[in-house]
Amino acid sequence: SSNEHKLNFRKSKEACLSFIQDALLQKEWKRAAEFLTCYIESLEKDYSREHIGPSEMIWRTGAEILWHHSQSSMKEFNCFMEQMKTLGVKRYLKVCLEHVFHLLCNGQIDEAYQNLSLAESWRFGEQTAIQDKEMKLIQAYRGLLDYYSWSKQKNILLENSEDGFSDSAVEQEMHGYFRKAAVNLKEIIKIPGVWDIFVKCYVDLLEFYGDHNEARQVLNEYAYNSKFPANPNAHVYLYQFLKRQREPKKSLISALKILHDIVPSHELMIDFNTMLQKSKKRKKRRLGLEVIFAALDYAGWKENVKAWSCLARQVKQIVISEKHLDWIKQEWNSRKDWWPAFHFSRYLAKRNWRENKSLSYEKALVAGILLGKGCKYFKYVSHQGCKAQLKRFRMLKKFVNRHNPVYLRISG
Amino acid sequence: MEFPAALFPSYFGAGPPQEEGGPAPLAGWGEHGQVLEGGPGRRQVQPAFVPRRGATGERWEAADAAAVPVLLPRAGCWIPSPAPQDILYRSGLCKKLRAGKSRAILDFTRQLGHFFVDHPEDAFGSLGRLLHKNFYLGNSKLQRPARSSTIRMTALVEDIDRLEARRGCPRQHLASRLRWFSHLCRDWLFEVPLGLLADCLHEELMQQWSNLLFDDSLTGGALAWLPPEDRGTPVGCLVHPGGQAMNHLYFQDVVLEELPRTRGAPAQFELSGRIQQVAAARVDGQDFVGVRSDYHCGVWRLLGKRGAVPTPLQVIHTDVPASCLTVSPHLPGELSVCTQSGTVYLWSVETGLQQLRHDPQTMFFRDHSPWRWSDFTAHPRVLSCADRTGLQCLDARAPKRCHFDLFKVGEEAGCQQGERVVLPMYLGRAHPSQYLVTTQFSVYVLDERLPLVPVLKWAHMMKAPPLFAHLMPGKPGRSHKVLLGASRTQELLLLQYRGGSQSACQLAGTPQKLHSIAGCLQHLPTQLPHRHHLLQQRLTAPAAGLAATLQEDGLHKSMLIFQLSEAGDVFCQRLTHNAAQPPAPPSRDEATTAPGSSPLFEVPASSPQGLAGEEEEEEEQTFYLSNLEVIIDDEEEDMGTSAPLEEAELLQERCANPQPSPAVPSPAAALQYRRWLRALSRACKEPPGHTWSPSLSQRRLFTRKDLEGPVGPSSLQRQMRQRLRQTMKEGGLIQHWAPLALQPPPLPQALEPAGGLDPLSARLTAAWAGDWEQWWEERTSFSVAKRQQALRERRRRQKRAQGRRSLSASFTSSLTYQSELSELSDTGPSVLSPGRPPLLSQEASPPAGSPLVHSPATSAAPDEALLSSQSLRCRGIPKERRKTLRDYLSVWAEGPPEPPEPLGSQASQLCIPSSQSQLSSASQPRRKRPRMGF
Repeated sequence: SSNEHKLNFRKSKEACLSFIQDALLQKEWKRAAEFLTCYIESLEKDYSREHIGPSEMIWRTGAEILWHHSQSSMKEFNCFMEQMKTLGVKRYLKVCLEHVFHLLCNGQIDEAYQNLSLAESWRFGEQTAIQDKEMKLIQAYRGLLDYYSWSKQKNILLENSEDGFSDSAVEQEMHGYFRKAAVNLKEIIKIPGVWDIFVKCYVDLLEFYGDHNEARQVLNEYAYNSKFPANPNAHVYLYQFLKRQREPKKSLISALKILHDIVPSHELMIDFNTMLQKSKKRKKRRLGLEVIFAALDYAGWKENVKAWSCLARQVKQIVISEKHLDWIKQEWNSRKDWWPAFHFSRYLAKRNWRENKSLSYEKALVAGILLGKGCKYFKYVSHQGCKAQLKRFRMLKKFVNRHNPVYLRISG
Repeated sequence: MEFPAALFPSYFGAGPPQEEGGPAPLAGWGEHGQVLEGGPGRRQVQPAFVPRRGATGERWEAADAAAVPVLLPRAGCWIPSPAPQDILYRSGLCKKLRAGKSRAILDFTRQLGHFFVDHPEDAFGSLGRLLHKNFYLGNSKLQRPARSSTIRMTALVEDIDRLEARRGCPRQHLASRLRWFSHLCRDWLFEVPLGLLADCLHEELMQQWSNLLFDDSLTGGALAWLPPEDRGTPVGCLVHPGGQAMNHLYFQDVVLEELPRTRGAPAQFELSGRIQQVAAARVDGQDFVGVRSDYHCGVWRLLGKRGAVPTPLQVIHTDVPASCLTVSPHLPGELSVCTQSGTVYLWSVETGLQQLRHDPQTMFFRDHSPWRWSDFTAHPRVLSCADRTGLQCLDARAPKRCHFDLFKVGEEAGCQQGERVVLPMYLGRAHPSQYLVTTQFSVYVLDERLPLVPVLKWAHMMKAPPLFAHLMPGKPGRSHKVLLGASRTQELLLLQYRGGSQSACQLAGTPQKLHSIAGCLQHLPTQLPHRHHLLQQRLTAPAAGLAATLQEDGLHKSMLIFQLSEAGDVFCQRLTHNAAQPPAPPSRDEATTAPGSSPLFEVPASSPQGLAGEEEEEEEQTFYLSNLEVIIDDEEEDMGTSAPLEEAELLQERCANPQPSPAVPSPAAALQYRRWLRALSRACKEPPGHTWSPSLSQRRLFTRKDLEGPVGPSSLQRQMRQRLRQTMKEGGLIQHWAPLALQPPPLPQALEPAGGLDPLSARLTAAWAGDWEQWWEERTSFSVAKRQQALRERRRRQKRAQGRRSLSASFTSSLTYQSELSELSDTGPSVLSPGRPPLLSQEASPPAGSPLVHSPATSAAPDEALLSSQSLRCRGIPKERRKTLRDYLSVWAEGPPEPPEPLGSQASQLCIPSSQSQLSSASQPRRKRPRMGF
């Protein structure tokens, strides 16, 4: 009966899919390809109502096989993808995008551009939300490629101008690329998302043409619009832009302060700390101490010599001046129950001494001040340092011994 | 820590997932996802792009054909956890009922029955003792004074037995006596009120069933590998549970050689509950091992030195089952614990428990699952806590105020509808701020510096949700390896990714399927069928844990992966790194590998989804071959070309290949298999008896009366033996047993109740022949109404013996005709024609295809033997007179007092021992028709 036939057909389809899957997972591309040729049959009578139909499966597995198959060529891949595009209307844009990605990864930028232009002109009925998103991406990637063309022309132009002659045709072409790129890039970065490359390119374009306000607005929007994800790069781009614009320290600090609030472990916190330490305002120096303490809370900073030397320098300063010991005390309060085990254990002292002497020096200084001269870390490192007759370790020991009472005030 | 200068583009939406859900086979293939400018060629004329997925990865190849056992099975057999068929109701009626719906029906009554049988003290204790004197369990009739206060239970028990035998029969009528009894007693007989007991049992059954569908108590896995402190020595420690109840914790030293081998006796701890999870982390050169059972969590410390003894540090007890235990990679002696009530604790060995959160509700939307998870993050004071809807990070110093959302099942991460968090894991050893989240559809890598937006997402396409994950961090410039493991299907998947600090995260290479434990079944020596079945059951037990380690000596890099099964077996496989990257894989692999070799297809027999799903799932195991033929047919019909046909043939050939092995195991592995098998058979000396149906207990099968053996051989048997001996002495030949029949038939004696021997031996022989069920059917159908009817019939016939003669004559003539036919075809005359029970109804005849069906267990009654035309002919009685004689004899046979036991039991008195009669029955494929009414 036809019903039974349908059922059998479905089962055999599933079996075939399993075989393909198995072959793919075992990297047996040839075997997978053989099964796939059988599976193509399933297109003929597609009764399925699953949300991933046979056409999509053929596209996915076929593409995967062609990526890895030892005898496949780019030409074959292109041919396959063209067929796949016509196979499913719903997935046309998606397949186009993937095709373009593959071309881009293989360095075929011009072909990719052609494909993007073609896909952009595709129309079929009413677009779904997903198709709309895909279309926007296609446009954005085209804008990106336009940007690269623009950048190429720009370099030619700059070289030419260095040589002392200008080429108006190249300039015209460059402006044309700018317009095309700007239109598309501007569109996508309005939509919430992670658009790092698009934003960077767009800002570069704007800066070249001197539209700093627009650039600033774009970056501010990208960093501070609450609909966008809390992307640290957005703040980094803004900070870098402000730095390029030679903005006053204040605005730089405020930009970094926000970055500190969302990602206390960001690598820019070192810059932030040095910037704050140099400040004459007490409040900012205080913030600097907070920033460096917070950064060192994170496991990723555990062995960062730069960060430890920042902290050691600031702590030393405070101890010598004997002012603002309460700052240290406050910071230390929330950490004194776990920093000793986290940073200043005997095991770490041994390891740091073995692996990185300057790290152990900085850490020993901090440990000696925060935990006193009886601290295991300090004792081990200073002992080893003295044994190895290193001058700075002897100085360190003296310094800590002299300022030992500070420890009592901090921990008390 | 550095953050990538640019991330791959992605949309960011908010709200519930938009994409339609559902398992999507092959959804993870063929996609680059996005591209990003990057890579080495930045200064080149053309920008170079890198894909999010599809970059080349390292090439790892399996060193052996299958996983190899590491530990030998310990004494004490494994008790399999309940399989679907144990708790589901399965019968024809039921199948019809649920043909439309795909809902499973729990076999409630059977389980309740089990409880009564297994725990009679708890079920009926006090009233049982009170009524002890009023219940009589004997067979004899009750005497007058006792009868007023005592009921005879034997009849009731028989009724119950009968009910049991007719289980699932659509025309099952309840015995009124039973109904009467239950109506009378159900309110007071039970120790626990029946309603309450039923509620509890039902709840437990539901629990068991949901565990079968998805058991999240195993999340995280109960296997840990503690690598050696200094890389020089190849001795690590494997921490695993064992014992019959998986309540023993073992710390076993393992030497990593070509095949890892154990060294010395393990340190062993007996715990008070089944070990669900073993988590380990190394802090400051010491290993901390956290062990979770349902109501207890414990922590052990192992110093990094060789030969160190693990020391138990602390145990905590929870009121609600704990669902998670993770060990801090930052601070020694810190762990995080979650319970199913929604509480998250930070547990420090020094300072005790600190409650961080208590919220029975799920975080982002409502989900019924009480499962909670928690892990550490890059900040030692910040813990993540997860439920099925997502992850949040809490600061332990101010858990109420300071928290942020790390992952949400929603549009933010591009999830599908119905997607749920299965296992979160901190990837700190690869990158301090990375996090892994698996769901039943996808695997995500998150960066806590960019919460909610996964930096990597891939549809893993596993058949069961990945409950176990293991990370092997790669050195700078090399990829990190993540192993995902599923429990029920034993799937193992190896993924590689890189990036996170200087460059954006990328999936590297293609995912790779690794050997599962069940995969080694085909490489084991051939077993007897029932041993094979047991072995299969053991090897396909759900996986319970996963551990792995990277080994490097010089240029040679390899990866060792340990997999633990619920049976307590630890299997291991080695992957070797192939740095050369050969252009094409060896053709041997492709030529000899056949589909179906993959354990991925082999849905274990105990797959609960198969039952929860649709009807046809039951045939799932068998359809592969036949349905590929369907494709072939289609191709023939539709295309009419020969080229695909060839391929189809090729396909078919591969499917038919019975030994789909990629290679043979190495001699060392083969040796290990044999050692393991030997140890297994030693450990489980007693195979569990009933493989067909675990619900049949022997107690119900054989009553004491049944088991009482015969006192000695009957007089007939003695005669037979004597004659046999005599003939042997004389060197003669017994052509027929006929002379025996000439002897005066011992009819009155034969009709006496034959005692307990015959039902038992008959039953055993029937069971041996394989048609026990039918025998039972016959016996029960015989015993109630039929017997009464037969008696009534007989009495009526006795009265109207005269009038019936003609009818009886016509009947016997037809019988004669039949027997003549059989005489023609039979090679030799046989007096002792074993027939079916004489009182059997005609429609219950066994299928013709089985010659052994009419087994001697139910052999002919003596009068039939007397009346058969063969025997009459043997005695030289002419054919025309036989009828008269038969009529006469039949009347005469009705004379003596009627036998209380079925006539079938008398057969064995005439019958010589069963092996001989079996032979004769085998040589005589045609049966004689039984006589009606006898």
